[in-house]
Amino acid sequence: MAKKYTLDELLIITAAREIHDGENVILGVGLPTTAGALAKALHAPGATLMMESGIIDFQPLVPPNHIADAHSCRGFSYATDLFSAFTMTYRGYVDVCFLGVAQIDKFGNINTTVIGDYYKPKLRLPGSGGAADFLSYAKRTVLTMRGGDFVEKLDYFTSPGYLDGGDSRDATGLFPKGSGPSMLLTTKGVFRFDEESREMYLSRVHPGVKVEDIKKEVPWDLKVAQDLSETDRPTEREIGFVRRFAPTEAVGRKLMYELGLTNAFKKAQERGKN
Amino acid sequence: MTDSKTKVMTAHEAISRFVHDGDHLVIGNYTVGTCAELAFEVIRQKKTGLTLYSQSGVFDVEVLVAGGCVDRLVSTYVYRAGGKEGGSAVERALQAGTLEMEDYTNFQYNARLVAGMHGFSFMQVLEGAMVTDLFKKRSFMGEDKYRVITCPYTGKDILTVPAANPDVCIVHVQRCDRYGNAQYWGALGSVAAAALASKRIIVSCEEIVEHDIIQSSPHLTIIPGYRVDAVVEIPWGAHPTEVLGYYNLDRLMYAMFFVSDMRGDGLKAWMDEWVYGCRDRADYLDHYMAKHGSEMLEAIRAKSYFSAPADYGSAFTSCWDDEDRERTMGLTLEELEEILEERGLLNG
Repeated sequence: MAKKYTLDELLIITAAREIHDGENVILGVGLPTTAGALAKALHAPGATLMMESGIIDFQPLVPPNHIADAHSCRGFSYATDLFSAFTMTYRGYVDVCFLGVAQIDKFGNINTTVIGDYYKPKLRLPGSGGAADFLSYAKRTVLTMRGGDFVEKLDYFTSPGYLDGGDSRDATGLFPKGSGPSMLLTTKGVFRFDEESREMYLSRVHPGVKVEDIKKEVPWDLKVAQDLSETDRPTEREIGFVRRFAPTEAVGRKLMYELGLTNAFKKAQERGKN
Repeated sequence: MTDSKTKVMTAHEAISRFVHDGDHLVIGNYTVGTCAELAFEVIRQKKTGLTLYSQSGVFDVEVLVAGGCVDRLVSTYVYRAGGKEGGSAVERALQAGTLEMEDYTNFQYNARLVAGMHGFSFMQVLEGAMVTDLFKKRSFMGEDKYRVITCPYTGKDILTVPAANPDVCIVHVQRCDRYGNAQYWGALGSVAAAALASKRIIVSCEEIVEHDIIQSSPHLTIIPGYRVDAVVEIPWGAHPTEVLGYYNLDRLMYAMFFVSDMRGDGLKAWMDEWVYGCRDRADYLDHYMAKHGSEMLEAIRAKSYFSAPADYGSAFTSCWDDEDRERTMGLTLEELEEILEERGLLNG
């Protein structure tokens, strides 16, 4: 029988498969770093992993706490600064980057800044960080959305996807030809963008998810791939890697907090006894 | 240059001398190893009306905003405790109308400091952002948040940001000498630009080292001594964040802050205990160890992984060889002086 996997493991492994050998990859914290570590360990040993804080060509040994975490590796090849990490992206040296999403529209434009009015926010989200510049200049971008929303109109337009669709992104002359989001990964499926219209369509569904469940979350008439299939099963090797490398990611945030708190409480009690 | 003897001081003295109400204050650190104790001291001294610059807010921005020190914030990334149910001091202050914020991308924010560091009046940034709300929605910077100019060489539109020269930078590094030569390694981020763009610089460090340590590893120095106003030795000065080569992130302490920060009263209680309730960092550490035990700190202390030394050696460090002859002319000083006399080249 095939090895069973958690939803978080499926997401990490699906993202990792977007990294190809020899590519330069900008990683954000959480799912992307684990995906990057997996890719480098299993199928893309020649990938150069980078973080925008200027940590270039690193091999994470534990999941980093954030994008400036040199504690997660044992040294790295090139220590540069944030300014240079972005100018090298601008010059076309970054093949793929990963970004989280809070709101996304039909053409892959994203909001990570605010829910509600910008000046009097209902929810103030992190903001751009590196997102707007990476989505502008990385050759392709993998978007991940967990807990975010599909919307007709973004509350705030943080980072440019395919703008109004069609050739509107290329027509501005502001972006490298062919750049933009290549995939959106959610907890329910994998979405891609049509080559002509640049409209998002459902490409894969995760095992056990119904297309109707996904359509319910999308406020427009979501297009579905003719050859829609299930997301590829993770291999035993991939699952084993994720579980060893990032056990806290593998179990998911909620369970990690629950088990972590239980452990901290237990340890505190033991200290009390001594 | 300030006399070297007066540069080494306590956090209390440094903040009281070099941070003033209404200043533009920049947090030099980016995400990792933040200048926690210096920020706490700003709060304890109730500095107000600050315009705060932070590349990426971690808990440092949260406590400064919650402490009532900040009127305006320039940043790219706001800390958020929890998902939709959670919150942050920045969010609460924006909602209450007590804080104005200007959003930039990581690169744009850094570019403002890079321009300031080099003495330029603006910096070119990546033009793609022109289509976004970062460009369209502006806060207190108004028209000067961005300007678009025509490139004199290509004729293309160029997006620019104005230089930033904050009044004062607070920054934590691994080590520093008493002259202020500050060494920092790891994720370089925008630390150097934040410090060098600023008019005054307060450095806190894990340890003050002898000058010869600095001299043999100048590639690690990111702020030269002549720019630095104050040097404060603060072991564990970035706790609960981490310092490469010294200690890791304190996940327990960070998780406790995270839970507290979700609500305003929770954060207030946290600050009453850890900021206002502690006189200085030594007091903070005593309180921490009394509450959690010293083994919690031992568990996150770094195990060494030393950088290979870079060899700064050279063939010789004197013009005179072992026989005291000048290396090029092959003469002793006496012989040389005789020749000078003979040729009538000595005056006076």
